[in-house]
Amino acid sequence: MTVSIDRGPLKPKVEVQFDRPYRHHEPRDQLAVRYRIEGCDGEHIRAIEHSVLWYTEGKGEEDLGVHFFQRVTDRTMLPPTATAGAFSTPLPQSPLSYEGVIVKVRWCVRVRLFFDGSRDFVSEHVFDVGHVPPARMLSSGA
Amino acid sequence: MARMVSNPFSTRHTRPGSILSRDPTGMPIDVASLLDRLDALGGSAAIVGPHGSGKSTLLMHLAAALARRGESVQRVRLHSWVDAPTVWMAIRRARPGDIVCIDSWECSGHLIGSLLRAEARMTRRRLLVTSHRGVGFPELVRCTTSPALLRSIVEGLPGHGFWFGKLVHRADIDQAFVNHGGNLRESLYELYDRFEAAKSPFSDVRRDGPIDHAGHAGVHHEIHEFTDGFSSVGAPERNLG
Amino acid sequence: MSTRRRWIVRLPRLYAKKRGHRRTGSHEWGVVGDGLFHATLLVAGLCFGGLLLSGVAAPEWRINHEFRESTCTILAKGLAKTTIADPPATVITNWRPCLLVRYSVNGVVHESWSQGPTATNTADREVALGRLSAWTLGAETVCWYDPAFPQTVVLQRGYSWWLWLLSLLLPGALVLIGGTGLVRVLRAWGKSEEHRAASAGISEMLDPLSQPALAAPGYPAVPVCDDLVNSPGTVLRYRLPIESPESWTLVGFGLFALLWNAVVVVLSVGAGLDLLGGRIDWWLFALLVPFLGVGIGGIVLFIRSLVFATAVGPTQLEISDHPLLPGGRYDVLLAQGGTGTFRTLTLTLELEEQATFRQGTDTRTEQLVVWRQTVASFADVGAAPDSRFESRAVIDVPKDAMHSFTSAHNAVRWRLVVRGTPERWPELCRTFPVVVFPLGVEVPGASPRQPLVDTEIPPQEASP
Repeated sequence: MTVSIDRGPLKPKVEVQFDRPYRHHEPRDQLAVRYRIEGCDGEHIRAIEHSVLWYTEGKGEEDLGVHFFQRVTDRTMLPPTATAGAFSTPLPQSPLSYEGVIVKVRWCVRVRLFFDGSRDFVSEHVFDVGHVPPARMLSSGA
Repeated sequence: MARMVSNPFSTRHTRPGSILSRDPTGMPIDVASLLDRLDALGGSAAIVGPHGSGKSTLLMHLAAALARRGESVQRVRLHSWVDAPTVWMAIRRARPGDIVCIDSWECSGHLIGSLLRAEARMTRRRLLVTSHRGVGFPELVRCTTSPALLRSIVEGLPGHGFWFGKLVHRADIDQAFVNHGGNLRESLYELYDRFEAAKSPFSDVRRDGPIDHAGHAGVHHEIHEFTDGFSSVGAPERNLG
Repeated sequence: MSTRRRWIVRLPRLYAKKRGHRRTGSHEWGVVGDGLFHATLLVAGLCFGGLLLSGVAAPEWRINHEFRESTCTILAKGLAKTTIADPPATVITNWRPCLLVRYSVNGVVHESWSQGPTATNTADREVALGRLSAWTLGAETVCWYDPAFPQTVVLQRGYSWWLWLLSLLLPGALVLIGGTGLVRVLRAWGKSEEHRAASAGISEMLDPLSQPALAAPGYPAVPVCDDLVNSPGTVLRYRLPIESPESWTLVGFGLFALLWNAVVVVLSVGAGLDLLGGRIDWWLFALLVPFLGVGIGGIVLFIRSLVFATAVGPTQLEISDHPLLPGGRYDVLLAQGGTGTFRTLTLTLELEEQATFRQGTDTRTEQLVVWRQTVASFADVGAAPDSRFESRAVIDVPKDAMHSFTSAHNAVRWRLVVRGTPERWPELCRTFPVVVFPLGVEVPGASPRQPLVDTEIPPQEASP
């Protein structure tokens, strides 16, 4: 069992930029993401994981499907040597982003930083795929 | 395209560990004093309370606090007596003096529970369990609920300043509490439904066709994103900090 | 009309279906516990299987491969008796026919009682005696002896395949469950949530209980529709399968009535034989009364469901193409059989969301219809005795419709629903699932269809 040791407050921040306005994409578009890491001075990052995934939100247990995954361990691509990064992937045909009532489908990119001592920090940023309008609860007369 | 607001009552925001543990008055529970009481009781105890009273949430926070103070903690959740072997193995893998946190202890049943408890006693492992009723362990705390507790939980949900008073009101919270007899989990599910119904501008119109996009012009809400989430050992996957 | 349904399923104590996260809290120890549990099952299966093979299969194999052939003379006949205590007050006696034979091994004469195959054991002494009548005293016959222990001799060889199968069934199940679980644990060890989900492939195949419906190839999270297009229609291209609780109810009642009454018959026969033998087992009679009551109730329920199903008649739905696409227009043919009259009969296209979540020790499933369109509606529908009611209609799938979606705990499903109010019978509701694919893709194997309605993309809204 690994026990984390508190070395004082650590406040990393990951700024993510998408290449599309309003973070809106169509299926099979090329998703390109750039990010910048801040607030990790003095901390040793041993790896960074990039992922593009969809997840469900609502009243059910959360499900997720990883579309793109990449683990970076090359020290020349990690802080403090490199505090920025980028990745790109073509989006699949499905699932589309869906704003349902009890089931919602969301797409996001995650940048996960792995520090020494088994701590990791995840930054998640949502984007849209497709043009499905929000669903509504039917009125009682429906 | 306008993005819709994330429902703050969805399971990702309300599952055990995502909400701060609070007492019936709505104040955060003094975890340190509970740990002192646990030590005074000999290290093994039970968190008792009815369905949806915050036992699992409190157990997770106590386990995290124990881990922070350097103790070795294991956690298991029981769904039925079939999970008993996993509990037994967790006890066996722990070292003498370690604590094993077990959620839903009553699922083990009287006989198997007695055997597991005897095993832990013989091997000097401590057990911290949750249960709906007394199960022979000293009682660490009895979880009870109140409308004030539910209100304080709701206050801590993401985007509270934006939607409270507009989409969900205090009367809705109190009504949900009454409707479900104090079960916080059921109350939060009902508030989920109320939130969804309230945020829909056309909820009272019968629709037979596609939704009109024009109705959303000018509406821009941000989906809550986790940009400060430390996933430390023992903490939930998405810790709001 | 209520559009929300909540089902609370209280998991039976003897079986717990686990989905999603198995543990809250310490993932590492949870994984270790999971791995140890499956490793235990695997080892138990291997040990059990090994013991069974060595006790059953190995002796049979040796007899058929290592025993040496010789000629023997039958000196005497006998019955080997085995008595097993069967509480509370009875014993079970097994009889095995055996023969005393004389044979020679390397010039040494042996006289031994033969070892018979397990299949010759019988509880009936007369049957065992009858099997002995096939052998003649003083006759010479072929025998096989163990070269390591010449006193061991058999007069019959072969394999009892059913015994092999039965012996390996339970250990095989333990090995399969334990082995697949262990492989899954090892593959997931030390990986982040995204890494585990990204590398799920073989793991998914190895744990069928945790899998959602199969996804259509090339369309993640869109369910396959192979089962929906394997039945050709009589008028239109496909006949849609029905997903209706009443058919399962009928099958369920039938199976229950069959199995339960089989048990009742066995108990009754046992009680009757005891009675004829002058013995009365009061416990058995006390057990028989409630069992009989439940059995009769099961038959009544089954017959009632069967009469309803036949009186109301089958509902068939055919469609011009499948899977569906947003903006597409499809012909449907509704056919309703039966001998009665329907006061109302409606066909609707619906979109339903389904979410499964845990509530303490319970698993709850909530379903909600979020969109509904009436396709066709009829009043006072009656079928002639030798024909059925038929009508054609057109379905227009909204051009911005969400495609069908399925994951482990959540789903977005399209369906055609036929609702009817028959005379003198309860309202019926029959559901025909359909699959809607995402727009803008070619569906493999689909036939040329009508041009789709052009999709209008709304203008981008100004940022705040």
